[in-house]
Amino acid sequence: MNTKLKRAVINLILMITAFTIQNCIFPLLPFLSASPNLLLILTFSFGFIEGKRAGMVYGVLAGLLLDLFYSGPFGFYTLFYIYVGYINGICTKYYYEDYITLPLILSILNDLAYNMYIYIFRFLIRGRLDFLYYFRQLMIPELIFTVVTTLFVYRLILFINRWLRDFESRRDTTIV
Amino acid sequence: MESKYNRYLLIGLTVFCIILIGITSITDSWLAPLRTGVGYLLIPIQSGVNKVGVSIYNEVADYTKLNTALEENKKLQEEIDRLLEENNRLMSEQFELKRLRQLYELDQDYLQYEKTVARVIANDSGDWFQVFRVDKGSADGVEVGNNVMAGGGLVGIVTDVGAHYATVRAIIDDSSRVSSMAIQSGDTCIVAGDLTLYEEGRLRITNIQKEADLKEGDRIVTSNISSKFLPGILVGYATDITLDNNQLTSSGYLVPAAQFHNLQEVLIITGLKETEDPSGE
Repeated sequence: MNTKLKRAVINLILMITAFTIQNCIFPLLPFLSASPNLLLILTFSFGFIEGKRAGMVYGVLAGLLLDLFYSGPFGFYTLFYIYVGYINGICTKYYYEDYITLPLILSILNDLAYNMYIYIFRFLIRGRLDFLYYFRQLMIPELIFTVVTTLFVYRLILFINRWLRDFESRRDTTIV
Repeated sequence: MESKYNRYLLIGLTVFCIILIGITSITDSWLAPLRTGVGYLLIPIQSGVNKVGVSIYNEVADYTKLNTALEENKKLQEEIDRLLEENNRLMSEQFELKRLRQLYELDQDYLQYEKTVARVIANDSGDWFQVFRVDKGSADGVEVGNNVMAGGGLVGIVTDVGAHYATVRAIIDDSSRVSSMAIQSGDTCIVAGDLTLYEEGRLRITNIQKEADLKEGDRIVTSNISSKFLPGILVGYATDITLDNNQLTSSGYLVPAAQFHNLQEVLIITGLKETEDPSGE
């Protein structure tokens, strides 16, 4: 199995795990007033690390998972997640390992964009104008949790990447 | 070249999504097989993770609850005494009711609906929507539009069904509307979910006629005229009823009968409301 395929499989497993944790575990934790958006973190991290194309593919995947779970208009989440993957993929040229500031800033922007997207298209169009309430009660807590979780998840992804690379180089040397 | 290809891909996917959103806003019945298919893959994972999560959670919860258990026990004992007394009273009233019903040939009992128990296996993690998924689906007789209850009160309505799962929209969801009535007076109203009231654990009651006799603490049940909800299911209790600015209707708040945080098991009423339509239209 080549590294690219292996990475894709690992990423796929990570995504499905994140989706299940997000839906099955987080709601059980009563002290979590808000929960981090794991799928968003994964999508933007993959886009940021692996580029636009990979970002889009994982965006489609994450979006489809969410769209299949909710019974709203199909494609609502997919559309957003594709753009998350793509736009963060543009920033891939600033990607350096161990450089955590930019991913954190991206995480804030992405989560803000995600919440605004939901607010505008699912609430504002039904005439819910009390933006400040939603901002204070929903967006800020989720933002904080997401940023903190990004610290860990991003590290985990970097760790997996490094492991895959080491694995690859070790195999190369043994063959040679 | 590479980036051009990516851009085309992006545009293509965008158009595809927008078309899908457009189509599914009108009808999404053709999606059911797809959702069911993915359900076959995801539901076992979700059930498994949920089972592990629940057992760990229960373990921890048991430990913390141990301290309060004795106190609670005492309280419950008092509650039992009180309920026993109440039960006795209700029993005698029941006999009286039966007698009167026979008298009036009105032996129809609202709450004799077929129910099936389902376990909640996944929740919406974000705070924007109050949607959850249960582990019973069309194979168990659940249909879209089935009413869902827990703790003696209405919880929500099934919006989407797969072979072994169903998605339920809770009545506290911001887009939920339940046509209801006060059990004492029969005055109709609308119980609406509102995200801004979710923290306080309340819902909004609107469209009460000005002359309606709806007071604080009145039991609100689903109304006879609702097209989606079976009649007579307890929704909650009215509170803070005030007259609207337009001087025509009043509105207020509702404290739901069901507890929404930590829902683990729910009852699904497997039977749709049959809107009587003799002409068949």
